[in-house]
Amino acid sequence: MTCETATPPLLQVRNLSLRHLSASGPITILQNVSFELGRGEIVGIIGESGAGKSTLGNAVLGLLAPEFQRTSGSIELDGRPIDPMGGDGDAIWGRRISAIFQDHTASLDPLMSVGAQVQETILAIDASVPRQEARARAVALLARVGIPQPERRYGNYPHQFSGGQRQRAVIAIALAGSPDIIIADEPTSALDATVQKQILKLLRTLVDDTGISIVLVTHDMGVVSEITDRVLVMRKGRVVEQDRTAVILDAPANNYTRSLLAAVPRLRLSATAGKGQANGNASISTNVGEGNTMLLVAKSVSKTFVRQGFVWNSSRNKAIFALRDVSIKLPRGTITGIVGESGSGKTTLGRIIAGLDRAPAGSVTIDGTQFDVSKNGRRSGLLSRVQMIFQDPAVSLNPRMSVGETLRESIRFGASLHPKEGPADAATMMDRLGLARSLIDRHPHQLSGGQKQRICIARALLAKPQIIIADEPTSALDVSVQAEIIQLLKDSITTQHMTMVFISHDLAVVQQLCSSLYIFKDGQVEDFGSSDFVFSQSKNPYTRALIDARPSRFTC
Amino acid sequence: MKTEILRALKKRPYGQVLTVPMIVLATYILLALAAPVIAPQNPYDPLQIYGWEASSSPGTPGSGGYLYLLGTDGLGRDILSTILYGLRISLVVSITSAAIAALIGLTAGVSAAYFGSWVDSAIMRLVDLQLSLPTILVALIAIVTLGPGIDRIILALIIAQWATYARLVRSVALSETNKSYMDAARLMRLPTSRIIFRHLLPNSIAPAVTLIPIEIGHAVALEATLSFLGLGVPIDKPSLGSAVANGFQYLLTGQYWTSLFPGLALFGLIASINFVGEDVRRHLDPRSRPV
Repeated sequence: MTCETATPPLLQVRNLSLRHLSASGPITILQNVSFELGRGEIVGIIGESGAGKSTLGNAVLGLLAPEFQRTSGSIELDGRPIDPMGGDGDAIWGRRISAIFQDHTASLDPLMSVGAQVQETILAIDASVPRQEARARAVALLARVGIPQPERRYGNYPHQFSGGQRQRAVIAIALAGSPDIIIADEPTSALDATVQKQILKLLRTLVDDTGISIVLVTHDMGVVSEITDRVLVMRKGRVVEQDRTAVILDAPANNYTRSLLAAVPRLRLSATAGKGQANGNASISTNVGEGNTMLLVAKSVSKTFVRQGFVWNSSRNKAIFALRDVSIKLPRGTITGIVGESGSGKTTLGRIIAGLDRAPAGSVTIDGTQFDVSKNGRRSGLLSRVQMIFQDPAVSLNPRMSVGETLRESIRFGASLHPKEGPADAATMMDRLGLARSLIDRHPHQLSGGQKQRICIARALLAKPQIIIADEPTSALDVSVQAEIIQLLKDSITTQHMTMVFISHDLAVVQQLCSSLYIFKDGQVEDFGSSDFVFSQSKNPYTRALIDARPSRFTC
Repeated sequence: MKTEILRALKKRPYGQVLTVPMIVLATYILLALAAPVIAPQNPYDPLQIYGWEASSSPGTPGSGGYLYLLGTDGLGRDILSTILYGLRISLVVSITSAAIAALIGLTAGVSAAYFGSWVDSAIMRLVDLQLSLPTILVALIAIVTLGPGIDRIILALIIAQWATYARLVRSVALSETNKSYMDAARLMRLPTSRIIFRHLLPNSIAPAVTLIPIEIGHAVALEATLSFLGLGVPIDKPSLGSAVANGFQYLLTGQYWTSLFPGLALFGLIASINFVGEDVRRHLDPRSRPV
């Protein structure tokens, strides 16, 4: 059957090289990238930021900006070349190849009902479809992607959908033209772990049922391990390795692939012997009132946001609980994790403890001193006892101050509460955190994300706080940098016997770092205990659901 | 700020740093600075004015030993000299008022954003009040209540302009206040003044800086309008606007030069400031930068 083997693959990218023409000269973005996509296949493209993975996706979609220039190679659909600059227009776009992007909120028009947006896409692709039929098809598509009661939800607007449902609607729109290929660029990165799992499952089902093919662009090994058939590992515009997913995960040939895999934090479900902390819940609850072992005790902290109605229906003002009666304790010299999905109140609690936000009810006691959290930070006296490390290092440093100025400010003002310990030295601190001293005169825009986050850690440590709160300090960073930052935090906290709160959505990281943890859900503490207890023995259904949402490949 | 402007200038397409409007504007400023040296006559000094040579047409030789290149006005003042000296007044008035208005507006806007609650409400309601009245009306009210004089004009222009800066800066500062580095600054227990002037202001200032040249252009026009209406600078020290107004009544008698030449000079000045301002805005505004 020679004619069978001669059939071209659905999508073939051959030796594609692209460069970006910028003011400072052309920069090579992709270099000799080749891959094939067969029918009914999911190919994952994984790489860290700047690897060129999104550019590759955009090239297949014909979405490249005019500043890009193809220097070699081709993209072929069914053996026919297509133009990465979008020259083929509507013949390909939407009908043969469509897309799902990361930001489900920006992908939908907020002023148009979700159903109408699906219907509009159907009509845009085939104007001869009668409106009624287009509507019926739209309802069917919404049902297809798993939106319950699609007929009733048809007229709802994007804000009435949850994040996961919005992403489902975006998938429905992508399916509207019955394309052969969907390019999914980080389709689940903006979603909570439990929802991410469901969306990935949906994509896999679509592929298995309809024979559609997906190119999945992601930075997350977990996502790749869950649903892809084959994987391309990209680095700095080149494909360093491509193979079947199982091979990449079990026997990677390339060093870079190995380092990427090694950097993924793994969750251990069996209690590690020797630590002897499995008494979990009991050990924490018996400690009530023991002020000397607990550095911080927060009692019954509540905070509400008021959703205001208009002037004429102010009676409809709705109070939404951000935190409801939350109590936590931080044992001295340990790292305590707070885990939860977005909107669970974990960051709100962190900001209240730090004195940045007020809470109308509850109390916070640090080292035996009680603070009035209903007052503003400056008046409550909490400020500067607690320092924070924030999620996004890009906005955590004053862009107009050099590294040295930032660190010296922290020594001069932040550490003023503890004059007896003598001034710390910015340069020594930089040495300790693995930052070259030559960086001291740089400004934030001249630093990498990982360097910026190290500076933030240095700034927090130099202020000599009693407690450090790290709020998702690694989620804006690449995986390989994440691991370094986690290790650094762990080392600097334990060597200095400091107390830290680590806020995260990532169970594996929390397990690596924290001796005990709290799991938050909808503004309440859902589960708590020592790490070993929660991960190996907790029966709480929500805790189990969070653990199950993790890619099984990275759980052991 | 300085390095940013330099970088923006270097980034110009085709490596071009100077544009025609920039050259024109620079020439205007040089002429204004050099006015006492290069002007044939000091139009403010009655001893140098020959009253009998009033309303001479352009090119008439004067008793001072120089040509009236652009003619004389109804009082016998050399138009060219009037323009050169008027330029000084127009520029001083507009630049001073724009700079002071920016200073007040920036401080007010940043404070409103940082303190929030009643401080914000008080400042912003004042801004609303100010912006709901036409600028010329605000300036008119100010002049009428304060009386004439160059310093009063400057004051009137400041009152008319500060609100624009305040509103712009407040919106930028509001989004900056929510960034983590501001939280970090609060956690350090920095003095409020340090947080505002070291952290918040430098990061909120860029859009307002791009507004300054454009507002200087407005100020020149506004001052000219006020002077034209007779509410501006004193008649014996004409700015460009009052020079136009002085000749206005003679226009119908065919003495076009008394109004036309100061008018052209004014037009060129405002146009070049606006073009340069637009250029500066385009290069400093990150949103208009190519990605």
